[in-house]
Amino acid sequence: MTERPAFGLAMGALLKADTLSLLRNRTSGIITVLLPIILVVATSFGEKKIRLLGGPDLIIGLALTVGLLVSSLLGYAISLAQDRHAGVLQRLRVTPTPTWMIMASRLIVQLVVNLAMTVIVVVLGVVVHGLSLNPAQYALVLAISIFGAAVFLAIGQALVGLVNSLSAVNAIGRILFALLLLLGLVGATGILGDAVKAIADWSPVGALMTLFSDALNWSPWSDQDTFALLVGIGYIVIFSFVGIRLFRWDSK
Amino acid sequence: MSDVGTPPIPMLDVKELRVSYGARVAVDGVSFRIERGEIFGLLGPNGAGKTSTLSAIEGLVKPQSGRSLIDGIDTAQHPLEAKALLGVQLQSSSFQPELSIQQIASLFAGLYGVRLTTAQLADRLRDIGLEAEAGRRFKQLSGGQQQRLALFIASIHDPLLLLLDEPTAGLDPQSRRALWQRIEQARGAGRSILLTTHSMEEAQAVCDRVAIVDHGTLLTTGTPADLIAKHRDDPKVRAVAHGEVTLEDVFIGLTGSEIRD
Repeated sequence: MTERPAFGLAMGALLKADTLSLLRNRTSGIITVLLPIILVVATSFGEKKIRLLGGPDLIIGLALTVGLLVSSLLGYAISLAQDRHAGVLQRLRVTPTPTWMIMASRLIVQLVVNLAMTVIVVVLGVVVHGLSLNPAQYALVLAISIFGAAVFLAIGQALVGLVNSLSAVNAIGRILFALLLLLGLVGATGILGDAVKAIADWSPVGALMTLFSDALNWSPWSDQDTFALLVGIGYIVIFSFVGIRLFRWDSK
Repeated sequence: MSDVGTPPIPMLDVKELRVSYGARVAVDGVSFRIERGEIFGLLGPNGAGKTSTLSAIEGLVKPQSGRSLIDGIDTAQHPLEAKALLGVQLQSSSFQPELSIQQIASLFAGLYGVRLTTAQLADRLRDIGLEAEAGRRFKQLSGGQQQRLALFIASIHDPLLLLLDEPTAGLDPQSRRALWQRIEQARGAGRSILLTTHSMEEAQAVCDRVAIVDHGTLLTTGTPADLIAKHRDDPKVRAVAHGEVTLEDVFIGLTGSEIRD
C-alpha cells in the first residue's frame, strides 16, 4: 500500500475506538452522568430548599455545568494525559493519520457524550422539578451545553499542554475542578464580597451558569448574557491556543 | 523508457541525520541505506542513538538536520505519504487499554486504510495465534503475544518498510525464535526491515547487514561476517575476545566495556 488512507475510513476507525474507550471507562462515564443526576434529584425534595438554592433553573444549570466540568475538563484532560503517558498517542502518530484528526476524534466523542448528558439532565430536571420548556429552550440549552463543553475542553487542553506529568495533571485537574466550582457557586452569591462576585461572574462556571439559567428561565437576552458569551469565547480562544501550542505528544 | 543503468531507489536512505535534545546530541550525522528485501540491524549500547534514529525516520522527533527518504519520499516534506509506506513497532508498544485485541486491530486497519471484515480479521488473528485472545485487552496478553500483536499491527497494511525497535526484548527463546521467523517471512514477502537490537545472536541470525552505532555516530557497517573479518585484528577487539572473534567482540571492542544505563 503506497497511498494515504481515505479520510473517512481513518476518521471512522478513530471515532469508533475513542467512543469504545470512553464507554469502557466506567468511572468517568458514570460520574459524568451520575453526578448531575444526583444533584437534580437530591434537590427535588422540598420547595424551600430549591428556592434557597435559587430555583429549578439554577439547579439544572448547576447540574449541567458540573457534568460538563467533570466530563470535559477532568475526563478529557486525564484520559489524554494517561494515553500520552502510556505511549498510546505516539503509537497513533506513527500512522499516516494527521495529528489534528487524532485530537478531533477525541473532542467529537466528548461533545457527543456531553450532549447525551445534557439531554438526560434536562429531561430529568423537567420531570422532577416540573419545569416547562418550549422547543426553542431545549435547542438553546443544547447549544449552550456545546459552548460550555468547548470552554472546559479548552481549559483541559491547556492543562495537558502546560503540564506534562500524568500525576500532576490528575492533581491539578481535581484542584481546578473544585476551585472553578466553588468560585462559580459561592462567589456568585456575593457573600464573599463584590470583588469575588465580579471574578465569579467572569469565571467559566459563572458565565455558563448565567447562560443556562437565562435559557431555562426564558429571560430576554441581557447585557449579562452578552458578557457571559464573550467571556466564554475568550476562554476558548486563549486556552485552546495555549493548549495546542504547548502540547507535547510524549510525556518523556 | 527503460531504467537500465539507473541505480534502484533504496527503500530507506538516511543522509547525515542529526538529532539533539537540548544540548545533548543523540544522533550525529548518521547515514545509511537499506535496499529492498533487506534486513538491516542497528546495534548499539543503551543511549547510543538507535531509538532516536528510528524516531526521526518515523516523524516522532524533528531532526536538526539531515534527511530520510522512504522509497524516494522525503519524510519531512511528505510525512503522511512516507508514514503510509512504513510499519512501525515502537520499543514499548502501547495500545488503548480499554480496547480488545480485535478492536485494536480494527482501529489500525482503518488508520492504514485497510478494509477488513470481521471474518478476515479473525483469519489474520488466527494466523498469528491470537484468535482466542481477540476479546482480551493488550495488557492481559503475555510478553510474546504482545510482541506478536505489535508486529502484526505494524504490518497490517503490508508496508514496504518495517521499523522494529528491539522487537524481541524480554522474550523467552521460543518466542524470540518465532518472531525471527515472522521477520524473515516479512522479508520473504519483499519487505525491507530496519531493526534495533542488543542481541548479537539476533543480529547474526536475521540481519543481512548491521551497523554499530555509539554516541550518536555510526562506527561501522557491513554483513556480520564482514564486520568480524574487518575488525578481527583491531587491538581493541582482540583485547576483549575469548578465542575466535565474534560479532559481540567486535561490538564491545568498538563501543567499550563500560556499562551504560
